[in-house]
Amino acid sequence: MAKDSNDTKKNKKDEKRDEDLSEEDLALKQQLELYVERVQDADPNLQKVALESMRQEIRTSTSSMTSVPKPLKFLRPHYGTLKAFYETMGGSDLKKYLADILSVLALTMSAEGERESLKYRLEGSGGDIGSWGHEYVRNLAGEISQEYAKRQSEEVPIEDLMELVQQIVAFHMKHNAEPEAVDLLMEVEDLDLLIEHVDSTNFRRTCLYLTSSARYLPGPDDMLVLDIAYMIYLKFEEYPNALQIALFLDNMQYVKQVFTSCDDLPRKKQFCYILARHGITFELDEEMAANDDDREALQDIINNTKLSEGYLTLARDIEVMEPKSPEDIYKAHLLDGRASAGATVDSARQNLAATFVNAFVNAGFGQDKLMTVPSDNSSSGSSANWLFKNKEHGKTSATASLGMILLWDVDSGLAQMDKYFHASDSHVNAGALLGVGIVNCGIKNDCDPALALLGEYIDKEDPSIRIGAIMGLGIAYAGAQNEQLRSKLAPILNDAKAPLDVIAFTAISLGLIYVGSCNEEVAQAIIFALMDRSESELTEPLTRLLPLGLGLLYLGKQESVEATAEVSKTFNEKIRKYCDMTLLSCAYAGTGNVLKVQNLLGHCSQHLDKGETHQGPAVLGIAMVAMAEELGLEMAIRSLEHLLQYGEQNIRRAVPLALGLLCISNPKVNVMDTLSRLSHDTDSEVAMAAVMSLGLIGAGTNNARIAGMLRNLSSYYYKDASLLFCVRIAQGLVHMGKGLLTLNPFHSERFLLSPTALAGITIMLHACLDMKTVVLGKYHYMLYYLVLAMQPRMLMTVDENNKPLSVPVRVGQAVDVVGQAGRPKTITGFQTHTTPVLLAAGDRAELATEKYIPLSPILEGFVILKENPDYREEDH
Amino acid sequence: MITVSVKWQKELFQAVEIDTSQPAYVFKCQLYDLTGVPPERQKIMVKGGLLKDDADWSTLGVKQGQKLMMMGTADEIIKAPEKGPVFMEDLPEEEQVVALGHSAGLFNLGNTCYMNSTVQCLHSVPELKSALIQYSHSGRSNEVDQTSHMLTIATRDLFNELDKSVKPVAPMQFWMVLRKKYPQFGQLHNGVFMQQDAEECWTQLLYTLSQSLSSTGSSENPDTMKALFGIELVSRVHCQESGEESSETESVYSLKCHISQEVNHLHEGLKHALKSELEKASPSLGRSAIYLKESRINGLPRYLTVQFVRFFWKRESNQKAKILRKVDYPLELDIYDLCSDDLRKKLEAPRKILRDEEGKKLGLKASEKSSGSKDNDVKMSDAEGSSNRSGEPSIATSEEGVPSDSGTQMTGIYDLVAVLTHKGRSADSGHYVAWVKQESGKWIEFDDDSPIAQREEDITKLSGGGDWHMAYICMYKARVLPK
Repeated sequence: MAKDSNDTKKNKKDEKRDEDLSEEDLALKQQLELYVERVQDADPNLQKVALESMRQEIRTSTSSMTSVPKPLKFLRPHYGTLKAFYETMGGSDLKKYLADILSVLALTMSAEGERESLKYRLEGSGGDIGSWGHEYVRNLAGEISQEYAKRQSEEVPIEDLMELVQQIVAFHMKHNAEPEAVDLLMEVEDLDLLIEHVDSTNFRRTCLYLTSSARYLPGPDDMLVLDIAYMIYLKFEEYPNALQIALFLDNMQYVKQVFTSCDDLPRKKQFCYILARHGITFELDEEMAANDDDREALQDIINNTKLSEGYLTLARDIEVMEPKSPEDIYKAHLLDGRASAGATVDSARQNLAATFVNAFVNAGFGQDKLMTVPSDNSSSGSSANWLFKNKEHGKTSATASLGMILLWDVDSGLAQMDKYFHASDSHVNAGALLGVGIVNCGIKNDCDPALALLGEYIDKEDPSIRIGAIMGLGIAYAGAQNEQLRSKLAPILNDAKAPLDVIAFTAISLGLIYVGSCNEEVAQAIIFALMDRSESELTEPLTRLLPLGLGLLYLGKQESVEATAEVSKTFNEKIRKYCDMTLLSCAYAGTGNVLKVQNLLGHCSQHLDKGETHQGPAVLGIAMVAMAEELGLEMAIRSLEHLLQYGEQNIRRAVPLALGLLCISNPKVNVMDTLSRLSHDTDSEVAMAAVMSLGLIGAGTNNARIAGMLRNLSSYYYKDASLLFCVRIAQGLVHMGKGLLTLNPFHSERFLLSPTALAGITIMLHACLDMKTVVLGKYHYMLYYLVLAMQPRMLMTVDENNKPLSVPVRVGQAVDVVGQAGRPKTITGFQTHTTPVLLAAGDRAELATEKYIPLSPILEGFVILKENPDYREEDH
Repeated sequence: MITVSVKWQKELFQAVEIDTSQPAYVFKCQLYDLTGVPPERQKIMVKGGLLKDDADWSTLGVKQGQKLMMMGTADEIIKAPEKGPVFMEDLPEEEQVVALGHSAGLFNLGNTCYMNSTVQCLHSVPELKSALIQYSHSGRSNEVDQTSHMLTIATRDLFNELDKSVKPVAPMQFWMVLRKKYPQFGQLHNGVFMQQDAEECWTQLLYTLSQSLSSTGSSENPDTMKALFGIELVSRVHCQESGEESSETESVYSLKCHISQEVNHLHEGLKHALKSELEKASPSLGRSAIYLKESRINGLPRYLTVQFVRFFWKRESNQKAKILRKVDYPLELDIYDLCSDDLRKKLEAPRKILRDEEGKKLGLKASEKSSGSKDNDVKMSDAEGSSNRSGEPSIATSEEGVPSDSGTQMTGIYDLVAVLTHKGRSADSGHYVAWVKQESGKWIEFDDDSPIAQREEDITKLSGGGDWHMAYICMYKARVLPK
């Protein structure tokens, strides 16, 4: 009954609508009804004319997209009639004609999942697919992907579909609908088709869509997509982009191919700058650069030998060369009355903090107010004085801080470190060794000074000297995969007489040197070392560095870790879970793999009562995995907030560190507020971690708000030596490199992740998981692992001879333009500066002059500019 | 003979010849000529290793034109200074206290914040400390009962311990003895010790100490406590009905500050409290009559204690209720107008000197300065705390019983040195905290076991009017002039 009444209502409505129709529409309606009748006529000629006219009516109207086209609307009631008639027709051209029209009508009429549009299309006459308009094509594409999935499962041939796909892709690519084309091809798993259809006008947008969507694809599809993008870039000679994808895939063969495909020296130089920023070790051979001199010049760039020079040029341009003392950073005068009573007696801990602050703040500037002495000062020198204002192992950090101050400047760095090698104090020697490693961080040199100098110390008696040398080698040769080093270091791991701390640092150093290499032998050596540990040693905090060293080997290598993870299941239960979490988090670091994040969150939801520690690395792991892209990052921040509320103490202690990693050198206000709240937590370890993380998120930004927070914390915690130490370190981090540096391991518009940088930060964070025994104990020099991630956050434009070139650039907030039509603006709220300029997190730069052409599409770090041959000076 | 280039620091030495038949030491000597770095300090990098003095060139595979790198300087070798610095962390605890700039906190033993804050306030009186040190175990004379003696000893020991440690101290012994002496502090409520009135604790402790210290037999200052804290009052008791008038003197340990509707400032409250009405039998009228008692200060102590009468017994709720009214108190208190005429005369001269000095400091002419230096917050820090400078006893002070060896004069001006505050709605609940000025001039808030540095301007904000800590007892230290 109800249905009936409904129907009558509808009928009434229709009638009413009929009445509402304008005369024109009424005429059209009648016309169409006539056509439908004629189609069913016996006379083929009449049929043909009717079909033609109907087709004509539909085509002329599909151009409008805002509503259902009128002819389609008026033909709706006749869809069934036409369909029935179609079935009765014999095979002829006319039948195909009718199939075409039915295919179009099915666009609005076909029931969900019937895919009639596709069905009739396949039976139809073929012909130009675009003639029926975008909406039709889009609908068809959707039905194809469904049909494809169905046929795949039923193993039915798909040739006819693929033919259609070809047409559709060609149509989309021609009509600025690259994302649709890519989507369709991904659905039918045949991205290779794309290469035929890209041309110089649309390949950029195609590749942009490909690379961005790769982030959200499960493996191994993402690799496939990036492969295609690489191929397209190479085809259109967009080598820098191709190189970036090659680096993302960590495919050295591709990198090599980029070099061999290009024969323009300045462009190759640009490639070298990109490689240098990524921080990988890469040797050019004759195939890649034929000319010896050219090759040497290129290799020099890859070896980062000019980094120090460029950084100092930036510093001079911004006028921050004047060294800063820790007091300039503390700004105690802004805190009235609260600062501790006059420093009558030196506090070793506070002096140590000052040492670190001094090191971080003056990093790479080559001068400071504590350690380096002006040359005219002939007396024994204040450096010796400051050095000996540190106690025991503090002297190690103090001496090593010289390495930080002279960062990247190998020549004068080694010269200034030399005298410390001859000191009689073993802590000073250890610091000198570590300092040499730090100076050489990211810099390669044919003479291998670090290896030559440190090599002979790794087997010394004194454990502190050994650690200094081993850690120094790890920092200097991070990512180098140096066989010679492996043969020197690996035996220490299985040396029964070596103390635990030496073994732990060896594992870390090997992990760093072979970061992301999946090297079997190193993995074996570390696994054996772990198995050799006694029960009591397994509970030592330093033992946890062994799984970390193992994890670093598989950094970002996803499934490759599985064999080792399997082995780790046989470990003693005290370390098993810890090892498992560390391996998992390292292997999927920077992948954004949602499943792994969920897995790690699952581990965090358990309530432990036996004092297990594996939830710490699990929490860090969430950040490591999720930090890859913006969306996952925001979600991770929210998940961490939940952990904070419901988690156990060991989770709460790790959460601030995880937040610090997610927003490293990127002070987001919401995270800043959370950390600020946690910095007053009743649990002092949570507070310490939060304070450290405040330093990390503000690292190198000079962020005034964080600086203010830390200043207040320094007065709040003035009587708590441990927390004050953390506050000082954080202050040093915020003003790192006087605001010219960043710790962000992501570069090239957040696309690439530098493995060594992430490794450095991860080690430091793992050290912070046990603040009391490591950072506040005698291994505070582990903070220097951050040096691996330190990079100038600059845009330095140079000419083809690597000389700085000052040009105007616009710097603004980056805008996501993926999949947008036309040529949208890529930055917003920009200001115009002249290079060199500083780039903040999320900033993007573009050249504000037509006079030059940048050789890299991404303006970050060193960018070579070429004169624009078409540029004409405007007449005034 | 091959030629190589050698890189040393920023310099590059081109075309250095190597005589491959000679040991490497010869090459090092060549470099010594070029760089001035002695051979034993040269480090030459060859293929990932260092060049040894006796190395054989043929095995090293050095090629023509190869670039070698040399490290080494002729710089002086770093030597540790003869005398290393002394670190705070290495110091024995008592020396760390000096570096810290304030003494330790006291653990709360279960609602003992009233006691802790009292102890912290009194602990800031150095004269009391020295008096206690002189008090010896054996010195107990018969007039003092055993428990008072023990309390005195416990106080002495506690003060000692506070001075020596950096970490908070648990005043177990003191707390036990205090309960023994005054069992009312041992009241239990629901199995825990009850919160008590800090003023009561303060008064009782001072009373005990004055008892035991005055009888120590140490002849020099028979009445230390009186000299330090005692206030001489001279009162005129007057009956309006009969016209009778009498005068009496008394000695009290603290001035009260009455809080009523009109009282906004400490000064007003003090004045208010010095005038009182009492009813007593009038001999002339043969019945009880209303007498008006007006007191004035006749003798000044070194430490003036002011108690804000914030609590009154509220019958309906059966507890000591609190008056939350805001009563300002100054950092510098002048009680000249509360003094008796005799005392005023004695104060004239020292006050003039003080004013002149302050005037000089401000660059003003002394004579133009109006009386009362309240508006002037220049601290005479150099004048205070110099109690034992000259030997000549002062007339003014000797009469008041101030230790005769202190060659100083009272000026009637006092500086705030300690505040005991209460937070909460009744005396037997809430929280007591001591705010004490250190010798360095810094203020420390002693909240049980955690001392927190505070700013001076925040101290005056404890004047009440809200639910924040409010002053209950203020201790002022006399600003004195050397005679």
